[in-house]
Amino acid sequence: MALGDAWKQLSWFYYQYVLVTALYMLEPWERTIFNSLLITVAAMAVYTCYVFMPQHIMAILHYFEVVQ
Amino acid sequence: KTLGERECPCRQTSKSLPSVERLVLMGIALQVCHAACNGELYSRPFIESFEETPMLLAVLTYMSYGILTIFGYLRDFMREWKIEKCHTAREREEQKDFVPLYQDFENFYTRNIYMRIRDSWNRPICSVPGATFDLVECSSNDYNWTFEYTGRVVKDVINLGSYNYLGFAENTGACATAAGEVTVKFGVGVASTRQEMGNLDRHEELEKLAASFLGVESAMVFGMGFATNSMNIPALVGKGCLILSDELNHASLVLGARLSSSTIRVFKHNNMQSLEKLLRDAIVHGQPRTHRPWKKILILMEGIYSMEGSIIRLPEVIALKKKYKAYLYLDEAHSIGALGLNGRGVVEYFGLDPKDVDVMMGTFTKSFSAAGGYVGGRKDLIDYLRTHSHSAIYATTMSLPVVEQILTSMKCIMGKDGTTIGLSRIQRLAENTVYFRRRLQEMGFIIYGNNDSPVVPMMLYMPAKLGAFGREMLKRNIGVVGVGFPATPIIESRARFCISAAHTKEMLDRALDVISEVGDLLHLKYSRHKVLPSLDRPFDETTYEENEE
Repeated sequence: MALGDAWKQLSWFYYQYVLVTALYMLEPWERTIFNSLLITVAAMAVYTCYVFMPQHIMAILHYFEVVQ
Repeated sequence: KTLGERECPCRQTSKSLPSVERLVLMGIALQVCHAACNGELYSRPFIESFEETPMLLAVLTYMSYGILTIFGYLRDFMREWKIEKCHTAREREEQKDFVPLYQDFENFYTRNIYMRIRDSWNRPICSVPGATFDLVECSSNDYNWTFEYTGRVVKDVINLGSYNYLGFAENTGACATAAGEVTVKFGVGVASTRQEMGNLDRHEELEKLAASFLGVESAMVFGMGFATNSMNIPALVGKGCLILSDELNHASLVLGARLSSSTIRVFKHNNMQSLEKLLRDAIVHGQPRTHRPWKKILILMEGIYSMEGSIIRLPEVIALKKKYKAYLYLDEAHSIGALGLNGRGVVEYFGLDPKDVDVMMGTFTKSFSAAGGYVGGRKDLIDYLRTHSHSAIYATTMSLPVVEQILTSMKCIMGKDGTTIGLSRIQRLAENTVYFRRRLQEMGFIIYGNNDSPVVPMMLYMPAKLGAFGREMLKRNIGVVGVGFPATPIIESRARFCISAAHTKEMLDRALDVISEVGDLLHLKYSRHKVLPSLDRPFDETTYEENEE
């Protein structure tokens, strides 16, 4: 039943997201376009973080002279 | 007896509340009473609030409109390049090089935003719109461009949208019987204007009754409420006169003011400082180039503003009017029958003299459940209007069943039919209003307006929530009216409830439970402040309210 409750909660969050961004009023294919664009941008951001985060952290630690 | 000598009625509290709440209310009322009675203008507490839009909500609403605009441009592009079928009106191929006939960009909002949630408006009703109504169900296959009937009729939808304040919209009872008899005897059409053959004895009787109802010397009735404003203001003012109009006035008042070709100046909504400043400027500087004094200064205001639920600050307006020698035109479309101990409108609500208001206008559409409007005032003013009003000369008069409905309902309200039905309805409306507003505020919704106004606007802000609210409420058998741009500012879309004396407490409780449920589902309970009543600042702006941090 925890899975059922989690699913209900998730679907309520999705409903809120759809209402706040006005996707509620758009047709299904428009929603697909918008969601794809959003997921693409978010995926690119996550990938960038994954590739560059180690270098950034090393640079910060080097600046604060924690590591040589 | 002036207002100052009258005993402050704040000490009288409503007997229907439980004792603890009565004590608390009395405490607040006494607190406010001492402050508001300071200027001796208000004999009762004037509690009005317009909670400020939360910043996050405003940003999110703009963002959602931005997304809709982008997709609107995309759809317009597709329509232009024929990728998608265009449902709106277009010119013929041969006329493409002419001056454009249809303003494409102006209809951008209608085409791309309104159309998507259009199913919440223009819903066909198939019964009398009383406390409940029956709805013909419609569905759309092409996203609201066309509708078909499904064949089902949704029965007993609770009606929170009709202006049925005193519950006279019914097909049984004294009013309907009287109207039916008159239809059989006289027919429906009058087939003439007032000045030709359209002046029947029933019209004169109605005018006498309306004049005694309002407490004025004389009154005149017209067939259409909108036309009463738009056709009579041009008859009263003209070139060389000044009209001071509230910023949220109804379209009929704005149209009448523009048709009259006088100078129009707009003051902030219900804001007495703004009005006084305009009056002083007008008297000091006179007409624009010649600096001659204005022939007349007419202040146009409404009794209850239906989009905000605010009540006019009538004592202050009348004080200003007398000080600066201007005239007041009061449009009591929503407040006649709905306010005051005997239903006589906003003038009785504040305990003022009807002779102070120069032109009292109102409509019979709302509380009397008929059609048409009236203008009341001094006898010489009304006699002048009888000869000079466009409506009297060109428009057909009120048809007789409607006159009969108004006569019967007005006599019922005044108590002249020998029963106390009218008085009990007025009291029930007042109780319903206070109860409904209090419960909604306790639930945490943002409600605009005065505590005593039967028009309750509940803020929704986002366009998607406006559409979703209408649909979700209808799924649960409650009919509400949502209002968006252009009737309201673009981010302040709202749902407007109109309380009726025909609503029983069970109906209101059911409606409130459903509203709470839908409010939780759509996350609409935005209110963050505990609303304080407007304290000792009779001239304050009502845009911002004090928050208790």
